[in-house]
Amino acid sequence: MNLSHSLWIWIGTFLTFCIFSFLYKDNPLYKFAEHLFVGVSVGYSISISYHNVLYPDLIVPLFKQGQLLNIIPLLFGLCYFARFIPQVSWLIRLPMGLVLGFGAGAAIPATLQASVIKQIQGAILTPNIFQRIDLFAWALISFIGLICVVIYFFFSKERVKSTRLAAEGGIIFLMVGFGASFGYTVMARISLIIGRFQFLLRDWLGIIR
Amino acid sequence: MRFFQALGKIDRKIIFIILAIVIIIPLLKPFGLISRASSRAEAVFNAVDAIPAGKPLMISIDFDPGSMPELYPMLTAILRHAMAKDVKVILLGLWLTGMGLGEQALTTVSREYNKVYGQDYVFLGWKSGVLPVVLGMGEDIRKAYPADYYGTPLESLPMMANIKNYRDIPFFISLSAGTPGYESWIAYAQSRYGLKIGAGVTAVSAADAYPYLQTGQLTGMLGGMKGASEYEFLVKQKGYTQQFSPASQAMDSQSLAHLLILILIVIGNVGYFFTRKVTRREEK
Amino acid sequence: MQRTIPLAICFIMGIFMMVQFFVPHPISTNAYDIVLKWIRIITIFALVLGVGSLAMYHTTKIRRKVSGWQFSIITIIALVVTAVIGLFGGVGRGSWLQVIFQNIFVPVNSTMFSILAFYMASAAYRAFRARTKEATILLIAAFIVMLGMVPIGSAISKRLPELAEWILTVPNTAAKRGIIFGIALGSIATSLKIILGIERGWLGGGRG
Repeated sequence: MNLSHSLWIWIGTFLTFCIFSFLYKDNPLYKFAEHLFVGVSVGYSISISYHNVLYPDLIVPLFKQGQLLNIIPLLFGLCYFARFIPQVSWLIRLPMGLVLGFGAGAAIPATLQASVIKQIQGAILTPNIFQRIDLFAWALISFIGLICVVIYFFFSKERVKSTRLAAEGGIIFLMVGFGASFGYTVMARISLIIGRFQFLLRDWLGIIR
Repeated sequence: MRFFQALGKIDRKIIFIILAIVIIIPLLKPFGLISRASSRAEAVFNAVDAIPAGKPLMISIDFDPGSMPELYPMLTAILRHAMAKDVKVILLGLWLTGMGLGEQALTTVSREYNKVYGQDYVFLGWKSGVLPVVLGMGEDIRKAYPADYYGTPLESLPMMANIKNYRDIPFFISLSAGTPGYESWIAYAQSRYGLKIGAGVTAVSAADAYPYLQTGQLTGMLGGMKGASEYEFLVKQKGYTQQFSPASQAMDSQSLAHLLILILIVIGNVGYFFTRKVTRREEK
Repeated sequence: MQRTIPLAICFIMGIFMMVQFFVPHPISTNAYDIVLKWIRIITIFALVLGVGSLAMYHTTKIRRKVSGWQFSIITIIALVVTAVIGLFGGVGRGSWLQVIFQNIFVPVNSTMFSILAFYMASAAYRAFRARTKEATILLIAAFIVMLGMVPIGSAISKRLPELAEWILTVPNTAAKRGIIFGIALGSIATSLKIILGIERGWLGGGRG
């Protein structure tokens, strides 16, 4: 064992055990670590936001380089503070409208291209599917599965016998998909705890390399 | 019969302790299970390997310390690969709380390869709003990022002299833990500017990435800690590094823990079915 | 006016962004550059709003001595100290902000997510029951993927990783693609509704 001499490692270890203590039950140590984390994360966000965005994108161009057009986004941004003044709280809708319109407008062509057109291409024009019989079979199964899943998600019309059959097929494909996701999720969660144990055993206790 | 019924009633604190033991033991005494690389990991590796020396690789940190055990080893392995090949690295991120991890990774890895900031790698940092960044870099990286993470104007960095936008980036990797992540890069950067994208994702979202792999929108994918261990294996196999590989070390624990979860599910179901059988018999 | 102007701004921005995608003319791209820069600046003020709300919540809790108010003091102190250190000390290599990030933020954040592993193990044991045909299919697929995706799977059988791979590339891809279609069409519909002013929830309530 090669116990760490770094104060910061010990602080990190203490905070790790504070959070782990929640596994037994909620307690003041956990609450302390949780509240400390909230404060530190917001303080960290403020610092990065200032150094990475506010200073280079607004303060320097507007106040040091004299690019006066930047007053417009500054005024829009200041409208967010109207939320704290009841008499003019409606002003917050101005920057919200701008940002929402921007996001919605940009999303439509991008989503159509990436998530609809490309995915339809991938479903129908699978590369190399005629090279081997098994590749063709899997591509066909995948295509049939896609149709079944899409039919399952169509709730606007009552299902007749054929669509009911397809929807049931869709459920099977969805269950396989969710099972695969669950399998991967188990891996994800276990990985996170392994990471913490690696920190404790390696950086704090020095037991493992 | 009572034994089988009791199988369904194990206290959860006992489960917690067993899980902890099952994870710790292989870390102390490794079994040496070997993690071979999948075709998805090889695709990412080959894409980075194909970048000529002096050309840039762009990496986006779209994760925070909550996903660090899965994605941070990917980041360091990719950085080691790129720096060993004298590929320039541009690091940025869509997640504010991931910036410290980028700083940490660059500090550690650049020292191993004697890389100089501004000449061999650049850290652009974070900008608010996902779309202005992703779309803005398609036109001009300097307009999206007038200065780097440390406040240095991009014009003064020698490496950025010949890099204007996505057309000068042969390959891009998004290491994502959720939204915004690789899907934002595919939707906005690739659909509009044709950027070639690979992804490293947490295992939670790995299954969701397969449709993008199949269409070719993603050139390869590293899925979870397993994916990280595969990339570490490839980087070591080709002799680019001999550094410690945390993800590979974890695979024994990962394997045992998976077996434990499976056993718990089976035990739980056995207990459930026996309890149901007894209940139905009593009702009759 | 208090609703009309924001709706008009939303409409103009939405139409502009949709049309701009297809128009490479210099006037269009110059306007696009300006818009991108403005949005970056405007969105940072939303963060200030979040910080203000958090500070108000905790100071109110301290003032009213609500249960757990002592912990709110910790939050406020941590917030102020970290912000001051970061704003005046910078974010550069070896900065105190980076030290705080690595030794306080990282351990707590990672550990918070890591305890999910324990709850997941407990939940899998208690709740994952093969009660129906669908649940059984889900369970079998999960079993195969869980074993096939780790090295022990190939140690048990070389077929396991191949089977897991097939599940992921064929039925899983079909299912996830169907979900992607649904989400994509839904988000396009919602975006259109926002741009056209049909969806007005974001305006909030109140007069005007």
